[in-house]
Amino acid sequence: MNGAQLVGSAFVVTWLSASLRLAGPVLLAALGETFAEQSGVLNVGIEGTILLGALASFLASYYTGMIWISLLFAVLVGIVANIFLAWMYVTLRASQVVAGLVFNVLALGIASTVYRRAMGNSSLPESIAMFHPLHIPVISNLPLIGPVLFGQTILFYLTLMLAFVAHFVLFRTNFGLALRASGENPAAADSAGVSVYRMRYAGTLISGAAAGMAGGYLVLAQVGLFRESIVSGQGFIALGIVIFGRWNPLKAAVAAMVFGACDALQLSLQIFGTSVPPQLLLALPYVVTILAISGLFGGKAVQPAALMSPYVKD
Amino acid sequence: MARLFERRLTPVDSPLAILATTTTAFLAAMFVTAFLFLSYGASPFQAYIALFHEPFATLRGFGYSLVRASPLALIALGTIVSWRSGFSYLGFEGCFVIGATATGWLALLTAPGARIGPLPFFLFLPLAILFAFAAGGVWAGLVGLVRARLGGNEVLISLMSNYVAIFILQYLVSGPLRAPGSLPETPLLPRATWLPFLLPGTRAHAGILIALAAAGLVWMLLQKMPLGYELVVTGFNPLAARYAGIDVARRLVLAAFFAGGLGALAGMVEVLGSQHRLMDGISGGVGFVGIIVALLSRLNPLAVIPTALLYGGMSVGADAMQRRVSIPSSITFILQSLAVLLVLACDALRYYKVNPSAIWRRTPQTVAGQASK
Repeated sequence: MNGAQLVGSAFVVTWLSASLRLAGPVLLAALGETFAEQSGVLNVGIEGTILLGALASFLASYYTGMIWISLLFAVLVGIVANIFLAWMYVTLRASQVVAGLVFNVLALGIASTVYRRAMGNSSLPESIAMFHPLHIPVISNLPLIGPVLFGQTILFYLTLMLAFVAHFVLFRTNFGLALRASGENPAAADSAGVSVYRMRYAGTLISGAAAGMAGGYLVLAQVGLFRESIVSGQGFIALGIVIFGRWNPLKAAVAAMVFGACDALQLSLQIFGTSVPPQLLLALPYVVTILAISGLFGGKAVQPAALMSPYVKD
Repeated sequence: MARLFERRLTPVDSPLAILATTTTAFLAAMFVTAFLFLSYGASPFQAYIALFHEPFATLRGFGYSLVRASPLALIALGTIVSWRSGFSYLGFEGCFVIGATATGWLALLTAPGARIGPLPFFLFLPLAILFAFAAGGVWAGLVGLVRARLGGNEVLISLMSNYVAIFILQYLVSGPLRAPGSLPETPLLPRATWLPFLLPGTRAHAGILIALAAAGLVWMLLQKMPLGYELVVTGFNPLAARYAGIDVARRLVLAAFFAGGLGALAGMVEVLGSQHRLMDGISGGVGFVGIIVALLSRLNPLAVIPTALLYGGMSVGADAMQRRVSIPSSITFILQSLAVLLVLACDALRYYKVNPSAIWRRTPQTVAGQASK
């Protein structure tokens, strides 16, 4: 193996393993959002929910040092925040885009106020206990696939598993059928005895739990500290991944990997020093998402038919 | 049988009812936020006095309120044009950045010795307005085109496009347009391109006049002009609009163009009136607060200026509060967004009719009801 090949393979390994690492949180958020959208609710508020989850897990980890408890706390905060959102979306029948968007501003205000209240005005970011990459004897040492596939944190494998669970629940259980019916034709679902409100609450709360956990994932497995800019549109990207993945959890997993690869390309190219402006690469995931959801590649028809339309029970 | 709360089939839409619910919601938001002030050991009354005294009772602070209000008002007007035309555009953060970038670039070209050279202000300003409006209009118009021709979801595409615009500006101020120095920012724009200051002793600049003129024009467009009528019909019911012979796709793109242009004017006003240079992070969430202002104004262009002044003033007051009593200014984000969420919630109230007489009639009625059983 000559020098160029060595650099080449090192590049591929860092790139691919970073791709999977970065795909994790957005995939998790996208899986939850799939449930909300299949039930007929476009939950734009996951951006803010991820931020609240990130803060919750950071504070919990800072004060207790127990990472699983911190993750659980992030999930709980995500659920509580989305009870409020579901009440806006389903019970009050407010415009989903408006309520979600304004909630994101509210979440930003809450997160930054609470963070300053808890940490004081010290400018030094505090570091916390985190999940570490697993190291499985033998297979983690395999060339290429070892570090890429078997060098991730346990949260990554958990997320992949959840993608399969989500797929099973959505397409193979009565609950999934009722949920999808509520998003496809709520009036018909209602006459068949499905409580559309309950299904939409369930979809929104699942997306809240997943988004909260995604925030915990960001803090506990990737960043290790809290900043107000920690989410920076990843919730919106998750919304794009749901469309890109055609409201299907397994396809969403593939879409998230593609997104992760774009995001990681910028990191890897910076490490290996290129003359490409970093901003061009930073913008890449957003541009790819825009192209993917623009309709250039079809996809309008598979959207849940009642998405974004509140249901009024007569 | 009269019940205390009776549900109506349609909400009351008298201006009084709308004003009443909006005010109730805002007071409720202030009530909730009061507990946050209490958590800092501050008296809520004094905190609110601190929040509103600086921006509205001091000349200097009022100047700053006007400075903050102008971009908010322009973005809110853009929101009104696009949302009332049925185009749920959320990319104002990006339009603001694009408008600021276009203006800053143009202004730098008019520096002595640069490509264009010094221009008199009465020539430069219309040129800057046209250029910024066109840049933002095309930026948002592209999203309109995607929605109209390909059926893409404008909500998400416009949210994503914000980040792309921010990276474009970041690239320009850290590369081609960067001034020598440690910070990623452009040199100061030529003095001749600055918007004139209005009130002596304050930072208030002519941007508020641009916002006022824009509010008048948007009101004219939507209320008095056939084109505006077509836009609103398109927003209300695209199918009916098509049957009436309106080219819905073209109206959508046009609405997006106007919205983007207005959002870009907000960036122009900020650069020429207040910052006088381009830097990374110039937008800082103003694109979203502008949308909130539009929502609190109930998408009514005439209500935009007072609402923008209220929200701009609150952010000035919050900064003063942070300096004086070290309560973080982010509390106002909570107050501002909570107000809108509660407005949405209070809208449900307009579906109910209150029968005060039910309170004192209740007892006899139940007695009568039981008697008949």
